[in-house]
Amino acid sequence: MSIPSENTIRIYVMGSAYEVPRGLTIMDAMEHAGWRFTRGAGCRSGFCGACSTVYRHEGDYRLRFVLACQTEAEDGMYLVQLPFTPAPRVSYTLAALNPDENVLLQHYPEIARCVSCNTCTKACPQDIEVMDYVQAALRGDIAQTASLSFDCIQCGLCSMRCPADIKHYHMAQMARRVYGRYMSPITEHLEERIVEIEKGVYAEEVDALVKMTRGELEEIYAARVVE
Amino acid sequence: MNNTAYFPGCSLKAEASDYERSAAAVMEALGQPLEELERWTCCGTVYSLTDDDLMHQLASVRNLIRAQECGAEEIVTLCSMCFNTLKRSKVFIEQDAARLETVNAFMDEEPDYEGGIEVFHLLEILRDQVGFESIEGRVTRPLSGLRVAPYYGCTLLRPREIGIDEPDTPMILQDFIRTLWATPVEFAFQAECCGTYQIVDTPEMVLEKSHRILSSAMRAGAEVMVTSCPLCMHNLRLCYEELRSSLPEKRELSIVYWTQLAAIAFEVETGELPASMDKLLEGLPTSMELVR
Amino acid sequence: MREAIARVEATRPARLQAGPPPAMTPAEREKVLAEFHPDYKAEKKRELGIGVSAGNVVPNEVADMLEAHLLVDPAKIDLSRVDYDVDVLIIGGGGAGTVAAIFAHQEGIPAENILIVTKLRHGDCNSTMAQGGIQAADRPEDSPAIHYIDVMGGGHYENKPELVQAMVDDGPEIIRWHEELGVMYDKENGEYMEAHGGGTSRKRMHSCKDYTGKAIFNPIRDEARNLGIPTLEFSPVIELLLDVEGKAAGAITYNLETGEYRVIRAKATVLATGGFGRMHIQNFPTTNHYGATADGLVIAYRAGAKLLDMDSVQYHPTGVAYPSAILGQLATEKLRSQGAVPINADGEAFVYPLEPRDVEAAAIIRECWSREKGIETATGVRGVWLDTPMIDEIHGEGTIKDWLAAMWTMWNRHGIDITKDPALVYPTLHYQNGGVEIEADGETSVPGLFAGGEVEGGVHGKNRLMGNSLLGYNVFGRRAGIAAAKWAKKKKSKIKTLSLQHAVDFEQQLADAGIETDLQSPMLLPDYRSKSVLERSLGRFI
Repeated sequence: MSIPSENTIRIYVMGSAYEVPRGLTIMDAMEHAGWRFTRGAGCRSGFCGACSTVYRHEGDYRLRFVLACQTEAEDGMYLVQLPFTPAPRVSYTLAALNPDENVLLQHYPEIARCVSCNTCTKACPQDIEVMDYVQAALRGDIAQTASLSFDCIQCGLCSMRCPADIKHYHMAQMARRVYGRYMSPITEHLEERIVEIEKGVYAEEVDALVKMTRGELEEIYAARVVE
Repeated sequence: MNNTAYFPGCSLKAEASDYERSAAAVMEALGQPLEELERWTCCGTVYSLTDDDLMHQLASVRNLIRAQECGAEEIVTLCSMCFNTLKRSKVFIEQDAARLETVNAFMDEEPDYEGGIEVFHLLEILRDQVGFESIEGRVTRPLSGLRVAPYYGCTLLRPREIGIDEPDTPMILQDFIRTLWATPVEFAFQAECCGTYQIVDTPEMVLEKSHRILSSAMRAGAEVMVTSCPLCMHNLRLCYEELRSSLPEKRELSIVYWTQLAAIAFEVETGELPASMDKLLEGLPTSMELVR
Repeated sequence: MREAIARVEATRPARLQAGPPPAMTPAEREKVLAEFHPDYKAEKKRELGIGVSAGNVVPNEVADMLEAHLLVDPAKIDLSRVDYDVDVLIIGGGGAGTVAAIFAHQEGIPAENILIVTKLRHGDCNSTMAQGGIQAADRPEDSPAIHYIDVMGGGHYENKPELVQAMVDDGPEIIRWHEELGVMYDKENGEYMEAHGGGTSRKRMHSCKDYTGKAIFNPIRDEARNLGIPTLEFSPVIELLLDVEGKAAGAITYNLETGEYRVIRAKATVLATGGFGRMHIQNFPTTNHYGATADGLVIAYRAGAKLLDMDSVQYHPTGVAYPSAILGQLATEKLRSQGAVPINADGEAFVYPLEPRDVEAAAIIRECWSREKGIETATGVRGVWLDTPMIDEIHGEGTIKDWLAAMWTMWNRHGIDITKDPALVYPTLHYQNGGVEIEADGETSVPGLFAGGEVEGGVHGKNRLMGNSLLGYNVFGRRAGIAAAKWAKKKKSKIKTLSLQHAVDFEQQLADAGIETDLQSPMLLPDYRSKSVLERSLGRFI
């Protein structure tokens, strides 16, 4: 293999060296090197958590955690992907549960094993304060758990690293749903509109529009007043 | 009060919310409102006895760092267990520079803990900083004649190095009860363990212990029992209901947090009280009635 | 680049004062589309030569896939051994498929008689990537009728009216269903925070910060998991099955990891395979997920399903143009609906920021390649500025970090702070406007085959508006799931002998039409390996 030039870098995928162009994401760099993903690539935009990647720089004592699709490959990265986390989730019936301060602890009792080591937070490629939301869950603060975990893409790296075997992201998903259903206020005009539609208040108007010619619609469209 | 950060702990935000509400109201009334520590985490719940397992000190030390970050000199707790865990951790970690260094190196995302943050229970703060005499001065509804058993449990007093009073002959709760014009009722098992988390796996053992504690207090003539620990409260109230028929006295025993007793005497927010407590209070004149 | 940014900064105060440029007239819109929109380049499209929609004009890349050889010789498939026998088969584990599964269950099909098969993971889909919002006409100032007009105008009046009617009528109910699922919509004082999107005349965009897609889809998936609906992952469908009567009867899946095929028999089949972004029409980069390769179109077309509006492609006006590492990734329309305006190299605002997407995209292309007022990067990519710092100027400091956190994070990972500096953008391939033609309850032209989500055609006409894809997948996923369940309960859905004769016939049609090609389809996944690797590739050992 040639020596990395100004325009190339050397990365190590599970220990094997590859020379790739500078300026690619880790994902693109691995593909350039000849990898074709089935696992380890999903939305390719940082929203799905399929491309969780762990790396260490040559000479660095610590592991780093990123999304391969969102991170530029750098010279001397030792990479491995962790595209799946074996973390059981707990089934529940949202409509039937009691949304009190113990609901998260009841479904995920292992959150009480948290020793506040903060390893989860350090492993989060989304920079979420993971330990803080686990702690919020532990004291029954569902709103805080939901809000701190809002950006979670469920990649699972937190749960892979946790010495207390907590399933952070499943618990947080549940917290967001409990919050959304039980603690977020309902907008009244939504219900009113649904009733109106059920009663057929708009049926005649929309039926008329459905039957219109293109020309007639164009006229109405041109006359729209934009709010 | 010095520059003090209040550490609630998880129970105070859930099952023991009455404890926090009454304490907040009492401290407000004393002109020393509780300032909650930002981004606090669970204390660790039970102090780890393994000397070589520094992982279990992280939770406590992280809270000491939070206090340090906001410029506080001390942490005050309400929950006896949080007090015990935080204080023992602090002592353990500050005893040995090597331990402190290891913990600091592990938490490289945090500023180093420099040591020196003191950990107090609110009772200590009231006794040593505020002074029981100023509490007495704030009482508007004296609890004259109310017979109150001080239940300490273990974690306020033991081990001796961190206890807030003499482990075998504690006086702090009795003194506090007197400042509210109530009558302390000493009993044999006031520093007996309630059985703590054994309630989950061996409830019969907790029942036996509670029976001893409750009977002893009742025989001594107590109408009220005060505690400073949410877990003791949980166990005692649960067992009291279970054991009612086998207790020595027909008379009811009201189990409340010590801060609730103060809140009654201050006539501020008490949080929810047991029905039996309300009944007891019917005979006690309020400040309005006293004025008349 | 700093000098170029300085020109944007120099004009910002005046632009903030003056407000954005006015919207185009219909005639101006037609002109810029005809001259600059990629859809209007006749040489990039052709008529389909075979199949039930022969004569339809589609992009060359789509035609290539629709007129390609089968992936597997049907003679190699043993249909006598059925691996899964279900009432409702759902092809695609994205938004529409998952919604369909939940509603098929609600309609009375037990969870174990439903099966979701999906190419990658359950949730590897465009639904989860959407950022900006979902439309629903629920405010007193708004109505389903006004929503209808906006949709038709945006789609150039070529949408199927009854589909648009279904979508606008169901909108508010879908939002309520989401509330029941615990979706955390943005609210202020108990009211939805509703915004404009390109081409809307009322504010009806409901959002969950700029994670709307994820914040809606994840609870839906979580609910499907709570209900215990079985899912087969890494198992794309390579061919639909019909029975000897020509009804949809299930599918053949291919395990991407072991190479095995599986035979699934189903009384009703729901196609929810999403769109085609990864086919990179006209070499555009795309916002789409890795598996968006139009597999559903290919297999449905072979089985005799009609297509609609496949000549039109949606290019999102604002994909990332710099840095090149994230080229083509989405810069949500919400940035513009919150006040960011496209700016040219001279620091001028040259287009109303909330035109319908096709118009906005065409205007940006014109600025870069005709008026020569684009900004060129070191790698030769041209783009225009999206003046994101205006958002905090208008709504107050912290707005971007609080409400557009995904966007802030995306650029920040590459050292760009969009609260301080504008971002460089250029249109990117975003959405398949057309697809498999459906009726209002998701029926296709093949009995027993239903479709919902991006794979369907007709709802959006020739151009989809922002916020109608999330609404569309919910409305038509739900309708398709309910219709599939009803169909599966009918006697006439009983499957006769399974058959792949339609696939055999399709190969014959290719031969008869004299179409010569080396390509096979469905494509399943794009191949991004470098030329230097492919030139020396001996294939994999398995």
